Parts: sequence; C-alpha cells; structure tokens
Amino acid sequence: MIALVVDGIILGSILSLGAVSLTLVYGIVRFANFAHGDLMAVGAYEAFFLVNTAFVALGLPDATFGPLSFGLPMVLALPIAMAVTAVVAVIVDRLVFRPMRQRRYATVMFVVGSLAVAFAIRAVIFIVWGPEFHFFTQALRPALQLPYEVRVKPDQIFILLACLTMVAGLYFFLQRAKIGRALRATADNPDLARISGINTERMMVWTWGIGAAMAATAGILLGIDAQLRPEMGWNLLLPLFAAAILGGIGNPYGALAGGMVIGIVQQVSTAFLLPTYKPAVAFVILILVLLIRPRGLFGSEQRGI
Amino acid sequence: MSLLEASDIVSGYGQIEILHGVSLSVGAGEVVAIIGPNGCGKSTLMKTIFGLLEPSKGTVTYNDTDITGMPPHEIVSLGVSYVPQADNTFLSLTVEENLAMGAFLRTDGYVKQAEAVYDLFPDLKDRRQTKVAALSGGQRQMVAMARALMLEPKLLLLDEPTAGLAPVFVETVFTQIEYVNAQGIAVLMVEQNARMALEHAQRGYVLASGENRFTDDSGALLANEEVAQLYLGGTA
Repeated sequence: MIALVVDGIILGSILSLGAVSLTLVYGIVRFANFAHGDLMAVGAYEAFFLVNTAFVALGLPDATFGPLSFGLPMVLALPIAMAVTAVVAVIVDRLVFRPMRQRRYATVMFVVGSLAVAFAIRAVIFIVWGPEFHFFTQALRPALQLPYEVRVKPDQIFILLACLTMVAGLYFFLQRAKIGRALRATADNPDLARISGINTERMMVWTWGIGAAMAATAGILLGIDAQLRPEMGWNLLLPLFAAAILGGIGNPYGALAGGMVIGIVQQVSTAFLLPTYKPAVAFVILILVLLIRPRGLFGSEQRGI
Repeated sequence: MSLLEASDIVSGYGQIEILHGVSLSVGAGEVVAIIGPNGCGKSTLMKTIFGLLEPSKGTVTYNDTDITGMPPHEIVSLGVSYVPQADNTFLSLTVEENLAMGAFLRTDGYVKQAEAVYDLFPDLKDRRQTKVAALSGGQRQMVAMARALMLEPKLLLLDEPTAGLAPVFVETVFTQIEYVNAQGIAVLMVEQNARMALEHAQRGYVLASGENRFTDDSGALLANEEVAQLYLGGTA
C-alpha cells in the first residue's frame, strides 16, 4: 500500500506539472486547451530525437549519472526540448488562436481549434516516429530499497524533485517577476491590463511559451519513468483536467495539489481494481468534483491565477 | 492651447451609433466634468478618447499628437491614464501589485512613484499587502485611481468615479480628485453625480442624445435654469 502511494506521488508530480501548466494557460487564454497533453508528447519526442539520434550522431558521451538511467545528453536535451516546444506552441497560437481572437470567436471554437491542433500534433508524431513504443534507454536500473518495503527508482526521485523545482520556480516567477505579475494581472482583468499599458498579446506569447515548456518537461519525465507512445499525452488529458478542476481551474497551486491527489488515488486504486480502470478513476473524481464542488478545492469566485 | 482636443466624434458599438459628432477640450491642469442623462454617450466618449473604441468620424489629439484609433497601451505611454467605471482593479492582486501594474511601462521600477501615490492615499499604505478583493468599495476606488497615477500622467480620465459608492465615500473621492489636480494633473470625469461634479470642476459639458447640449464654466452651468431643471434635478 505504501509502495502504491509512493508510485502515486511520482505519477502525481508529473500530473501536477502538466495540470499546473494547463491551468496557467487556461487562466490567460480563457479556454480549455485540448492540445496540452500532446504538447507533452511533443516535448518527449523532441528529447528522444536529441538523445537517441542527434547527440549520438554528434558523438556526445552517453555515460549515465550515478544510479540514474540518463546522463549528459538528457540534461542537454531537456532545456532544448522545452525551448522548441515553447516555440511550437507560440507558432500554433500565431497561426490558429490569434486569428480567432482577432475575429472574437466564441470560446467553444477555441476549444474545437485546440482539439484540431491536438490531432495534428499526434498525426505528425505517428508519421515521424511510428506507432510503436520508444524508450530513452533499455538499461535496467536497480531500485533503491527503502524502509517499509518501499522501492523507488533513482529516476523517480529525480522526477519528483524536477517537478517540485519547476512548480516552485513558476510560483516565484508569478509572484516576484514583473512579467509574472503582469501575467496574473492579465488573467485577473485583461481589459484593465491593456488600460495599464500591458501588451496582452505579448502576455499570450509568454503564457504559451511557459505553459508549453512545462508541458514538455512533464512529457520528458513521463518518458523517463515509463515509455514514449504517440498517445501518451492524449491519454493523460483526462487526469490533467481532473487535477486542474479538482484544484480549481485557473489556480496553479490548486492544480499542484489536484495532480498529487489524482496520481495517488489512481495508483492506490490498482490495489482494488484492474489497472485498466485507472483513467476511469480520474473520470469519477472529475464527475464528483463537478457535481459536489465545481469551483474545485481551492477555487474562488473571482478570476485570476 | 489645449491638452486634449476631441472634435466631431462619431462613435458607438458596432452598427449602433451613440455619439453623433461630439467635441470637447481639456486644458493643461484643468478639471472638466461631462454630465448628462443615462445613455447620452458619456462613457462611450471616454472609451473613444482612450482608444478602446475607434470613432467612425472625428479626431482625438493629445499634446498636438493625433491619437485617434491608437491602442490604449500606446495612449497610456503618452501620459493619459484611464480609470474605467467597473472592474477597475485587479481583485486577486495586492494593493501594491496593483500599483506595480499601473507602473508596468516604467523602466525605473514602481517603488518611488508608489511612495508618492501613498502620500495621496494614506489609507492604502497600511493595506499595501492586502488583496484588493478584501477592501471596501471606497478603498477599491482609491486603488483604481492610485493605479492610474503610477505613470505620472498629465491627464486622468475618470469614468463615474463615485458610481456605487456609499455617500460618505463620494465626498472623499471628490476631495482626492482635488488633491490629484493640485499635482498639476488635468482631470476629465464623467459623473452621474452632476451637481457635485460641477462644483469640483472648472468647466462642464452637458451631453444629450450623443450631442453637445451645453458647454460652459461650471458656475455658469450650475446657475443655468434649464441645466438645473433638466440635469441637476432641481432649480439653480
């Protein structure tokens, strides 16, 4: 049982990272981005290309760091994949969503548009990398033996720390940095932000960039923990939304808690249910939250992130 | 010569024309009130001046620069600040963060100007770390004005600054407008509270049905029998 909770915390930290970035984007662009999971997959596949193709061709040393399953190539691939995914998201916004904003489309059209983007991204992944599973590495790493029969892989500790660091980094950015505060102001009251001299279109660029970079990180960490599949992001979309809504949509700190709850409940449920029902568990939580407390655990009536 | 000059403004929302050729001017350091019945186009005029609505005809010039149709974030950088009637604060941000957002375009940070603004609104200083959502209506109106002063504007546009406020705060707001004006900042305000607005302004414009109806010194408007009967709810 404790082992399942530990697994749940690892899954939860990845979900949290995805849900925090999903809810950040929602807070500013004001629609549910169905392509968010696929941005995660894009990040993972970019890192896969860099680590297993590009860096190999360049002859980069592939020695791993201590007990971890990866080494220097992955450490270099992570920021590059984050940046490339950010650029992809900003280009998508420029090509798809900005023209829709200028024509003042209804929110539902943006959601449908993001669904189209999600399909397009997945199609590109299928075409380039094929439908089969990919692994960053085939090497097996021994798990660390902790008290109470808890076994945890060194990679998983790295995943947890990486997720917490990124979310903490986002917190300080939103609270302290001038651009971060302007993002919160834009989420709170876009008209007043414009009146104050904030170029809200530039805030859109920041939002997509940061949201996509965090999504890419979540995707890469998921790839390290498990494997890469074209539908990896799409399959996570439901738990991501469940986590974001559980935490109160638009509230990044709620999404952090929401992700942890969903992750742990999903893993613990495997003690009683077939693992195939894991997505159903997230779905049940989502429905319960929407029925009982649609604002989410930490949601408030007012807008803002 | 005047600081702000709007001439023959025709504007509205989409196909609906609300202003049918309104003109107005504000001199440097002047307080000017726009009054008139509901739906006469007062707020539409403010939004058109500030670039939130694009006029189909007419021009707006500020400091001899044509600002007609310029986006708000450029107009604000020229020294014109605008306080909308509703939703004029960032509720989920603290008082201090609201001021920081008002100073977003400053390259020298917001701290120094924030101190100057706190001198005008001492009540806000004690609550600088409080979220605006936790403040009273009167205090929120102070935050709204304080935010607009962070770029040291030469002209402040106030849309219904006393709307929805308890009577005790109405007098405070007008006193604060006088303080602001004493700093050499010109104020153009739209007010429902017509008599008080004119008492605190040097000149006034009475709009009716999207057209200029009366334009005069405040004293003269207050003394005008017809204005008093129709728009001030009483006799001069």
